[in-house]
Amino acid sequence: MNEKKTGYGIWMGGLGICLMGGLYTTIKLFQEGHTLFHANDVIVWSLPLSIYIFLALSSSGLAMLSALPTLFGIQRLEASSKRLVFLAMATLCGGFLAISLELGNMGKMLYFILSPNLASPIWWMGAIYTAELIFLGIKFQCLHKGQETSFSSKIAGTLSFICALLAPMILGTVFGMTEARAIYFGPMLSIFYLTMALYSGTALFILYTMVCRTLESDQPASNAPPIDAVFHRLFTYSAAAVVIITLLKTAVEWSTVVPEFVTLRSFSHPFTPLFGVPMEVVVGLFLPLILLMIRPIQKSTNGVLITALLAWIGSLAIHTRLLIAGQSYPVGPKAEHYPEVLAYLPSAWEWMVALFAISLMLLLYTLGERYLKLGSCRVDKL
Amino acid sequence: MPQYAMVIDLQRCVGCGACSIACRNENNVPDGIYWSDKMTETVGTFPDVRFHYIPTLCNHCENAPCVRGCPTGAMYKLDNGITMHDPDKCIGCKYCEFNCPYGVIYFNWQTPHPFWRETTPLIEGCTLAASEVTKKAGGNTLPYANPDREETLPGIRPKGVVEKCTFCDHRVKKNLLPYCVEACPANARIFGDISDPKSKVSKLLGKFRPFRLKEHLGTNPRVYYIRGYNPAQYEASKGDV
Ligand code: SF4
Ligand code: SF4
Repeated sequence: MNEKKTGYGIWMGGLGICLMGGLYTTIKLFQEGHTLFHANDVIVWSLPLSIYIFLALSSSGLAMLSALPTLFGIQRLEASSKRLVFLAMATLCGGFLAISLELGNMGKMLYFILSPNLASPIWWMGAIYTAELIFLGIKFQCLHKGQETSFSSKIAGTLSFICALLAPMILGTVFGMTEARAIYFGPMLSIFYLTMALYSGTALFILYTMVCRTLESDQPASNAPPIDAVFHRLFTYSAAAVVIITLLKTAVEWSTVVPEFVTLRSFSHPFTPLFGVPMEVVVGLFLPLILLMIRPIQKSTNGVLITALLAWIGSLAIHTRLLIAGQSYPVGPKAEHYPEVLAYLPSAWEWMVALFAISLMLLLYTLGERYLKLGSCRVDKL
Repeated sequence: MPQYAMVIDLQRCVGCGACSIACRNENNVPDGIYWSDKMTETVGTFPDVRFHYIPTLCNHCENAPCVRGCPTGAMYKLDNGITMHDPDKCIGCKYCEFNCPYGVIYFNWQTPHPFWRETTPLIEGCTLAASEVTKKAGGNTLPYANPDREETLPGIRPKGVVEKCTFCDHRVKKNLLPYCVEACPANARIFGDISDPKSKVSKLLGKFRPFRLKEHLGTNPRVYYIRGYNPAQYEASKGDV
């Protein structure tokens, strides 16, 4: 028991250190500005934004999963529903933290409400994600009070599910609607983000459940399939859907003569692409799909854990590469001041922002498990 | 209401960059930021080479992607067609910069003009610190800051917001030409009301076949280019096979 308490103490201490580091970074950003990032007037959005995309999409995926028991009546999943809702909220809070540190002037956020621009995809993205958080909050409140069948729970559940579907697609339009950057593939990115949301959200939930179960039992889990088959199926289907879209995207990228793509093809990239497919797609997408189709691997705890981990971390790498690739080439007269193609490696401060956002998310998970009776997994009781 | 536009005569333009220098002075533009800029290109193989020089600035697009995308309305259109920016409403999301197909928006990554904010003298007891020079000159941050800029926009924009060319809206309001137009020694920049068929810009657009940058995007830029400087001669022939 003592050992477990010590483990919990170390875990909270570690999170505390990361959060303090994040607060220090926030103060530095206020004082010195975003010059601390390795971003510039060509690569204007960098790692903090890809962390936001990654966490926001994972959160949408979790919110979609949370609708399975409450909206689609799969009753055997009811035990997971409260935890799914809470994880979705906590993950979204991490995402919001990352994007707020990407903004140059957070203090002016009031104008988001005071003078909204309804033609702006960024405005809709902010509005829908905020609505998603609010509806998830109401749904959680109802589940917490044991009122899962109440009217407000049903309404909040339905609306949060609609938001979870809309938000990734609107996030896709933020990039897809830019006249300046063909590389983002227009409307296709919305569909890509929707499938990525389900893929990374399911991966995160499986990963989280596996970690909890491993922590709960002193022994590695038995050979019995530890995750409900529906999650496994959704994970496989979403992986397959993302693979198909990625192959289609890659085929277009390699065959089109649109100048941006021709330039993109003419430079060699780090983690060299394999037959035109970037390495993180191979490791973070193709490999998990293959692993998902091998039954013996999916019957072992480690197999499931590794598959989910590859998929979740791989999603972050996929989002980061996509975000940076579309901005690597100076537009118009900026080519006079910058090289033809720009390389990017995040600065230590950007890593600190990433760590801050993920630590906040993990802290919320931990506190939720401890105080909100999310389910059987109580890290603090281990 | 007049609809302002600019015609840039590439035959007259000598590529001296006076427009860019004038713009920096008029608008207190910080280092690393270019409201008025250029695109250059060298084509051919020596000795048959040519150097192209195209001055650039905000195109004050009629269908401006920066305005459409700005979540807070900080990037907006004036009735006279000028695309304006309000740093007070700007949350620094940089979407306009990401979205502008012409690469003319810049972000203030740090507090602008750091050099002129220096408080330590270069040589102790001998020279003044840069900030003291400014103070003695009575300037705002810069000793040579133009106070007129403050009429419609913070004279020096803060860190964390974007900035770009405003067609010198503060001058146009007073019936003065944008300062780049004023400063051009070759009269290569012609400014005026495109909705008035008698204006110089309308006449030039009727006389010469203009082109605009990335017209296929449908942004309808209000900056037009005419002609092109080329004194080269060649012997008439039909080529060969
Ligand atoms: S050139 Fe760029 S900044 Fe200027 S109006 Fe057009 S889109 Fe906006
Ligand atoms: S950086 Fe400012 S002006 Fe540009 S889109 Fe964001 S809020 Fe609008």
